[in-house]
Amino acid sequence: MNQKTVRRLPIYIALILLALVSVVPFVWMLATSFKNGPDVYTQVPQLLPLDKKTGEWNPTLGNYEYVFTISGLGTAFWNSVWITCVLVPVKLLIDALAAYAFARIPFPGRDKIFVLMLAGMMVPTITLLVPRLHVTQVLGVYDSPWGIILPNVASVLDIFLMRQFFRTLPVELEEAARIDGAGRMAIFWRVILPLSKPVLAVVTITSFIFHWNDLVWPLIVLNSPDFYTLPLALQQLASTESGRAYYIMAGAALAVVPVMIVLLIFQRRIMQGIAFSGLKS
Amino acid sequence: MASPVVAQRPAETPAGPGRRRRPGVGRRDHLIGWLLIAPALVYFIIFLLYPALAALYYSFTEWDLHSAPIWVGLQNYTDLFFDDVKYPHFWKSIQVTLQYTLVAVPLTLVAALGQALLINTIRRGSNLFRLLLFLPVVTAEAAVGAIWRWLYDPQYGLVNAVLGLVGIPRQNWLNTPELVIPALAFIAAWQCGISMIIYLAGLKSIPESIREAAVIDGAGPVQRFFKVVVPMLRPTTFYLVVTGIIAALQVFGLVYVIFSGGGNRSVTGGPEQSGLAYVLHIYLYAFRYNAMGAACAMSFILLVFIMIITFVQFKFMKQEAS
Repeated sequence: MNQKTVRRLPIYIALILLALVSVVPFVWMLATSFKNGPDVYTQVPQLLPLDKKTGEWNPTLGNYEYVFTISGLGTAFWNSVWITCVLVPVKLLIDALAAYAFARIPFPGRDKIFVLMLAGMMVPTITLLVPRLHVTQVLGVYDSPWGIILPNVASVLDIFLMRQFFRTLPVELEEAARIDGAGRMAIFWRVILPLSKPVLAVVTITSFIFHWNDLVWPLIVLNSPDFYTLPLALQQLASTESGRAYYIMAGAALAVVPVMIVLLIFQRRIMQGIAFSGLKS
Repeated sequence: MASPVVAQRPAETPAGPGRRRRPGVGRRDHLIGWLLIAPALVYFIIFLLYPALAALYYSFTEWDLHSAPIWVGLQNYTDLFFDDVKYPHFWKSIQVTLQYTLVAVPLTLVAALGQALLINTIRRGSNLFRLLLFLPVVTAEAAVGAIWRWLYDPQYGLVNAVLGLVGIPRQNWLNTPELVIPALAFIAAWQCGISMIIYLAGLKSIPESIREAAVIDGAGPVQRFFKVVVPMLRPTTFYLVVTGIIAALQVFGLVYVIFSGGGNRSVTGGPEQSGLAYVLHIYLYAFRYNAMGAACAMSFILLVFIMIITFVQFKFMKQEAS
């Protein structure tokens, strides 16, 4: 070992400890979720799914089966999947179209509207909840999946991020395309969007994570368990089965693991996106 | 694809102001512009602008969502502030939220800066550590609440087991009023990944030449940290403090999950309301007691508070810039 490595050793030790604090809760969640009920409650914490009395290897998938079928997390899982898969692309399209207009198509009143929208971002979500609930009732989408989709179908923040990105693209490209006879929409589809993959990726991924995880709005707009999204069903499970950690941890794993996979695949884009949006605002 | 378009670009096209709007395109452009923003604008009006204005109106009414709202003027506001029989926990919820903010925001920032500094000094494995420290951020708050309730379990929880190793006696973290805020703040610090990434970007933007100059001038690591790194990160820290405060004042989902138990109806805000966050208090009035008017008034008080913070931020940013 050279001197530099030795000097860095304490840094690595500190980082490993911090990483453990960060990761162990998830490991513990998974460990608990594969244990049989009686094996969960031991005086000395036991990482592996061993039988409490005999100490033998005793894992189970029963907790997942139970929460998936009996507690209704299966239905909720698929609800979350399809709601997110409908919501995110539609939202992306609406936001991108608006962002393009705000970035590149001048028309009277455009900038005033944009500033008004930005000001709207300051309003805390809780302030909007009661009137939004009323709006969904008036529109007839209360207690339905559309009651989740419609009130989330655009995002001022995403419009803002995409507009900032579109503005960095050279205008000459568009002018050249226009001289070639391309209309506004052709330019948008064939010039702007292909060049904007970085920002589109960031917005898509963060939207997916946000809506997959969202608890508050489904909590307010949904009433029938048939429509519950995964976070809401998990909250209900944690509340009704509060004495049975193994069920709750299996439910939590259902909510956590898909997002972790997305994070693993797209980590670089996500980190860039955060640094970008964080430093811009 | 874009590349053929680039290739065909006539070389004589000058790029400059005034060239962007060509004659004859203007009016059609207006129409297209309006059409493109139309879906977003309709959304904005229905789900943001109208709700914000409606919330303001409802805050002057007594309303249960089902019958017509009754105008009561400022009564909701005065009752909230002065009638502690009608709203016994209003001030308590403010106190809880401010305490939480005061503990959670500094703790989060210190954790984030520490992690960023450590990651910034290493080369090998920095991506891995960054990823691992980021995991808690993308976790659904319903799952975060569920996991930490299990970790804080007084009898079988991992937190007590780990603390037991260093001789700290068992605590009933979520059921002891004095321990609720520290326990919640620790979860917030556990989720400091976003601040960590932003600090990391800030650290990367400190020019190497400044660091080298400090080394040449004989500054040790501690001096370099306080005399170079901290001042250079001031704008980043300021941004993170402001956004951190705004987020902490609105903490809700986590406390809702942590303190819901034994059936949906018994959400209370923890032992002796020690975890009754302001937004949880609003939620209870709106969706448990159907007191929509009072809830809207409370949420408007929060809105004003946040606007003041944002305004102060703008002022400072302007000062920093000039």
